[in-house]
Amino acid sequence: MRTISIALAVARKDLTSEWRTRELVPALAQFVVLALVIANFGFQIDSHNAVAIAPGVLWMALVFAGLVAFGRAFAAEREQASLEAMLLTAAPPAAIFAGKALAAALLLAICEAVLLPALALFFGVRLSFDVVSAVLLATVGMAVLGCLFAAMVARVRARELLLPVLTLPLWIPFVVVGGQAVQAAMGGSVTGQATGLLLDLDILFVVLTSLAARFVLDD
Amino acid sequence: MSTLVGTALTQRFGSELALDAVDVAIDGGEHLAVLGENGAGKTTLLRILATAARPTSGSLEIFGLDAMVERRRLRARIGFVAHAPGLYPALSAAENLGFFCTLQGVARSRVAEVLDLIGLADAGRRPAAKLSRGAQQRLAIGRAVLHDPRLLVLDEPDASLDSDGADLLARVMRGRTAIIATHDHALANRLCQRTLLLRRGRVVGVPTRLRVVH
Repeated sequence: MRTISIALAVARKDLTSEWRTRELVPALAQFVVLALVIANFGFQIDSHNAVAIAPGVLWMALVFAGLVAFGRAFAAEREQASLEAMLLTAAPPAAIFAGKALAAALLLAICEAVLLPALALFFGVRLSFDVVSAVLLATVGMAVLGCLFAAMVARVRARELLLPVLTLPLWIPFVVVGGQAVQAAMGGSVTGQATGLLLDLDILFVVLTSLAARFVLDD
Repeated sequence: MSTLVGTALTQRFGSELALDAVDVAIDGGEHLAVLGENGAGKTTLLRILATAARPTSGSLEIFGLDAMVERRRLRARIGFVAHAPGLYPALSAAENLGFFCTLQGVARSRVAEVLDLIGLADAGRRPAAKLSRGAQQRLAIGRAVLHDPRLLVLDEPDASLDSDGADLLARVMRGRTAIIATHDHALANRLCQRTLLLRRGRVVGVPTRLRVVH
């Protein structure tokens, strides 16, 4: 219970800070919309190829927005020297990590709430429950991995370069399986197998990152 | 019985020797001042004693526990004020303390007590970013005593405090074992029973025992 209450407190703190400063979400929302506008002009979109192109554009926008969102999760704490204060309490590092990942995932989900309707508008694809669930499931796994590596690189100077190098290879399964799920859902096919695989990947990486968080966060 | 015993604490940053086999011991309820010029190794030593950093070599025992192994258990009994206040600028003073109440597992009612103790009872609703540097430092000191720690480690806590700062430090250190790094010798004499003088990472004077001032 204490672990959950600490994780929720950390997430609430991050979300409250973001709500009051509005540093990250407006910029990310602008970024994902601009990415869609550029893709809309860059590709010759018509009713035949929209279903094939839209998932790729969606995941590209999500991956880059995620790198920024997860990178800021720990970089901001390091800059204001508050991470150490948090880690020097009796709170379990895994609970602190879970709270940070939860907040970062929710912030990315807010961007997805802008991204998905904009995608439907620009590409003329239909949004369904399957599309949304595939994106949200991938967000969970991407968030825990992104936050773990963000915590690792937060103390080094070249963190903006290191974070994508470390994170992107491990996000590939989410992009591949999520891309298949979204493409199938947009084409009106069944996505059950891909969605199940995303859920398996989420469970695997949530467990692994929770175990690794202690070693990453505890100096 | 000593509350804290550090033996041959050595810290290297690459080829630079920041601390060179420093021995330190402090009894329960005792107040120790760590003095020295900039770069003498005060912050490095205090970070090790607060379990915020691991020494390259040497051993550290706090409350009879090995500080290299029992870090989390010890952190529940240690309060640390670092160089930077490390506050959340968008949260109010009370929210900052309330958040740390959850992390430390103490009741929220402690927030009002601590705000009163640090003289910020009227500023509880102000965002930390809008507080003066001195008030931020008071808040950082309040956060360090939120969980009523038995050992306080204070790294230049007087840096931004006003003339009442010494009284505040005396209040929070009362009844606790405390180690304080400062450049202010008068403050050290007022608050502490003993001093440890560092120069270039080494204890100056008596090599293995602390120099008694009083």
